[in-house]
Amino acid sequence: MHGVVFPLVLFFASLVGLAVALLLLGQFCGPRRVTDVKRMPYESGMDPIHPTRRRFDVRFSLVAIAFLIFDVELLFLYPWAVVFAGGAQPELPSGAAAAGRPPLVFAGGMVFLVLLVLGFVYDWRKGVFRWR
Amino acid sequence: MSSDALWQLGPETLVALAAVVVYVAGAFAAPRAAWSWVGLAGLGAAALCLASTTPQAAEPLRIDALALWLRWFALASGALLILTSWRPAADADGAELLGSLLLIIAGMMLVAAAGDLVLLFLGLELISIPTYIVLFVGRRTSEGREAAVKYFYLSILASAILLFGLSFLYGAAGTTSIEGIHQRLLDGGGSLGGFAGLALVFIFAGLSYKIAAVPFHFYAPDVYQGTTNDGAALLSVAPKAAGFLALVRLVAVAAEGVSSDAWRIALALAVLTMTTGNLLALWQDNLRRLLAYSSIAHAGYMLIGLAVYLGGNTLAGAAFDGVAALLFYLLIYALATVGTFAALNYLGETGQPVDHVDQLAGLAWSEEPRSRATAWLIAAFMFSLTGIPPLAGFWGKLALFAGALGVRGTEPAMRSWFVGLAVLGIVNAAIAAAYYLRVVGAMFFRMPMGKPRTGGSRSVPFAAAVICALLVVAIGLIPTPWYEAADRATPAAAAREAPEMIADAR
Repeated sequence: MHGVVFPLVLFFASLVGLAVALLLLGQFCGPRRVTDVKRMPYESGMDPIHPTRRRFDVRFSLVAIAFLIFDVELLFLYPWAVVFAGGAQPELPSGAAAAGRPPLVFAGGMVFLVLLVLGFVYDWRKGVFRWR
Repeated sequence: MSSDALWQLGPETLVALAAVVVYVAGAFAAPRAAWSWVGLAGLGAAALCLASTTPQAAEPLRIDALALWLRWFALASGALLILTSWRPAADADGAELLGSLLLIIAGMMLVAAAGDLVLLFLGLELISIPTYIVLFVGRRTSEGREAAVKYFYLSILASAILLFGLSFLYGAAGTTSIEGIHQRLLDGGGSLGGFAGLALVFIFAGLSYKIAAVPFHFYAPDVYQGTTNDGAALLSVAPKAAGFLALVRLVAVAAEGVSSDAWRIALALAVLTMTTGNLLALWQDNLRRLLAYSSIAHAGYMLIGLAVYLGGNTLAGAAFDGVAALLFYLLIYALATVGTFAALNYLGETGQPVDHVDQLAGLAWSEEPRSRATAWLIAAFMFSLTGIPPLAGFWGKLALFAGALGVRGTEPAMRSWFVGLAVLGIVNAAIAAAYYLRVVGAMFFRMPMGKPRTGGSRSVPFAAAVICALLVVAIGLIPTPWYEAADRATPAAAAREAPEMIADAR
């Protein structure tokens, strides 16, 4: 146990040390020449015309969550398509190789798609797409 | 995951399917009782599937007697929880609550069947994430939101700590399979074996949150108080059962014999948890807060079982195995606690749940016969939680304390530690009697305050309370078959059945 603890303590000490050292270095060595343009909030190169701390309509976050359905779908379908087209790759772990049978891979993808469509139907019925 | 493993997960799949049906159909219509029937049907189909599937080894799964015990426990407690939260009227959020409950049951079953760190963690998250929804949707008051937010952030922190521990376990063994880790660490685990001891500390910390053990118990009173009776019943069963199973799997199976400190951690946690829970429960007037501290205290009692198992090396003729006593106690605790919440649900009216001990005053002398019966039911649950002899709770405590007395110990002074643990446990049981009997005293020896409760049309929660009470009495009268069922599920029993395999492994 002691043989393990010492490297860990060293690890955490160097972590904290590095973080503190970088902050202090920036504090002491960094040149500070403040101009009005530098102090201006950056807004895509435009001149800011109103305070940026405004409340956003909560409906935007619903749209963002609905977007996740399609985003996650895309994320998972790429590797699925690669495995389905190419069969099991030799360098994949054994579990993936065992799953590399086309009917099972196809069924898995379809179950995933059906579940996503059900999530979509749920959103639709709950009125996520109605901009009230 | 192979197709064999998918077939073995049939019961979990059916429960999750029922959840999906309830979620989606609930978006079209809102008759809450109908969804409860769908949920019960899903659990029934899963039970049939579980009974007809022959367990076999399939890679990421570990379907042994322990897994089967917890899967049956999950299905049975799930059915009781559905009955407890049964509402006759249409309810806008009923489908979400029920669907989340079904997903939590599927998560418990997945934790039971998991033989791999990743799958185990996935199962634990499948319990946590729907719990956030249950807590938030269940009660939309400021207290309910506070409860949901507290549980959410602390649960995420606990998951992160657990994952940190699991990563050390993986680092020490080089595999995520629980059996693989066990083999590898028995062989010495190479130069990184020492990390497994460190992993144990983080695993204990992360899972202490799920089982509400001190010092990770702070959320429990606020969250129980802020949520509904259904939510509190769910919190006192599902995370606890899954957390204890994960502890047994990780600490007692995967990292068996890795660190001589494991039993010390479990023993210290047990002492702290039961003492803190019982002492703080003495001051509570809110029923859910009182039961939250009771839930903490009972987690402490169950940790005694884990400490006994980790201590190992029992006296010749010691009758009680630590893990068996833990499982037996878990069952008894769950029945009494769910039964109490079901009875409280029967008494409350929509939007006006029974919150305070005072609201139960004089219940036993109510004019309505079912309210009088409810007083007797709650009294039975309180006596069982105290551990009064003819009821189930007595046998649970007997198994745990006698197990602690039966430890001989491998190190000097170890036996005296365990004798001290048993004595402290008995002292704690005596302290606990004070607050349980206060509830009984309020129902039987005080004048009713305000109008007598009518109870209303909630006959299904009442039926759930009656089922729980019958089981508590039945286990109290005939404890042997129930204890033996738990005894057959322990890792020790698995080792008895296959001694040659263990010998080969060593």
